[in-house]
Amino acid sequence: MSIFLGALRTEVRAASWFAALGEPLTEGDRSDARAYAAALDFGPVEIGLARDWPDAERLLKAPDWTPAWWDREEALRRAALAAAEARYPERTLWSSLTDLTAETGDLVHGKAATAAARMGKAAAASIHVAAGAASQAVYQLAVARLAEDAASPFESKFRLFAAGRWPLGILGSRLVLF
Amino acid sequence: MTDIVVKTVDELKDAPAEYREAVSKLVISHAINELYGAQVFDEPAIAYAPTPYAKWLTCRVAMEEYGHHVRFKQLGLQMGIAEERMVPGTGKKPLSIFEFPLKTWEEFVAIKLLADLAEILQVEDLLHCTFHPLRNLARATMPEERFHAQFGEDFSAELVKTLDGKARLQAAVDEYYPYLPSFFGGSKSRNNETFRKWKIKQRTNDEMRQDFVTRATEVATKYGLTLPEVRQAA
Repeated sequence: MSIFLGALRTEVRAASWFAALGEPLTEGDRSDARAYAAALDFGPVEIGLARDWPDAERLLKAPDWTPAWWDREEALRRAALAAAEARYPERTLWSSLTDLTAETGDLVHGKAATAAARMGKAAAASIHVAAGAASQAVYQLAVARLAEDAASPFESKFRLFAAGRWPLGILGSRLVLF
Repeated sequence: MTDIVVKTVDELKDAPAEYREAVSKLVISHAINELYGAQVFDEPAIAYAPTPYAKWLTCRVAMEEYGHHVRFKQLGLQMGIAEERMVPGTGKKPLSIFEFPLKTWEEFVAIKLLADLAEILQVEDLLHCTFHPLRNLARATMPEERFHAQFGEDFSAELVKTLDGKARLQAAVDEYYPYLPSFFGGSKSRNNETFRKWKIKQRTNDEMRQDFVTRATEVATKYGLTLPEVRQAA
C-alpha cells in the first residue's frame, strides 16, 4: 500500500517557488498571510516585506526572535501527524512522506538557487535554508491533508509559497514575507 | 578473475554470487545508517537549532539525509533486495552511536563536524566502485555530504566565538568522537577483504580509520578543539 498524494504533487510541481521574492505585496499575498496568521491563532498582524536576501537573512538570524509561531506550527504538525498515523499504517505513511519530501527537496532547491542567482547577494547557505523552509511547508501540508484538516494554517502557508513568496515568520505583531 | 565492471543493475544478475552479496551488504548498510542518522540526529536537531535560519538549514540537512536513504533504498529495490531489509528494526544492528539520543545543539554541530566527515570517507571509497550504479549514487551523494560537514564547520566557527560555546562544543566532541573510529569496521574484516577483492571499495578499514583520525584532528584543530584518545577497534 502507498499513499500517492497525487494532487499535492501536482500543486508542488505547478508552484511558482521563490519567483516573487522581494516584489511588492499584492492583495492576494496579504489575504493569504492574514489567513495563515489567523489559523495559527495570532490576532491581527501587520504584513511586512523583506526586500532582498540580506534583509531576509538578518531577520532569520536574529538571536532575539520570538519562537511562538514556530512552536504553534510544531504543535499543529504533531497533532496532524498523530491523526494521520491513526488513519494509515505507520510505515506506509512514513515512506510516502519521505518520498514526497525527498522529491520536493530537489525541486525547490533548484528554484531557490535560480532566485538567488537572479537577485544576487544571497549567502550560499541561504539557498539550503530556503529549500528547507519550502520542503517543510510541503511536508506540513501533506500531513494536514492526510489528517483531513481543511482549516490548517499549512494550506495558506503553502499558498504563499505557491505564489512565489517565502513567509519568514511572525515577529511580535508583524508577519514578514519575502 | 576479479577485474569486473558492472555497468547496470541488470548486468548484476550475471556477476558472481560473492560480488552480488557484497554489493547488497553495502547498499543495505548505507540505506539503514542514513535513515538512523536522519531519525536519531538530524530531525530532532531542528528543535534545538537556535534561530529560524538554523532550523530551516537543519530541515534541509535532515531531508537530504532522508533522501540518501531513499536513493540507497531505491537502488536496493532495483537489485531485488526486500524493503524490510533496508529499514531499521529488521535484523542489521545499527552503529553504536545511534543508541545515544541527541540532547543539545552543540552535540548536533559536533556530529556534523566529525561524524559527517566519517561519512564522506565512506562515500569517497565508493567513487571508483566497480558497480557503477553504486558509484554514481555515491557521486550524487558526495556534494550533499560535503555540505553537511561544512554545516558542522560553520556552526562550530560560531560556537567557538565565546568561551562558553567552545566549552559546550568541546564537551560534545568528547562525548561523541570516541564512537566514530569504529564506523570503519574491524581491522580483520572479511567483508572489507571481499569488497577490495572485487574493487567495490578501495581501502582497508584501518587505512580509512587512520585517514579519518588525521582529517578529524585537522578540522578540530582549526576550531581550537581537541579530540579525546580512543582505543582502536581490534
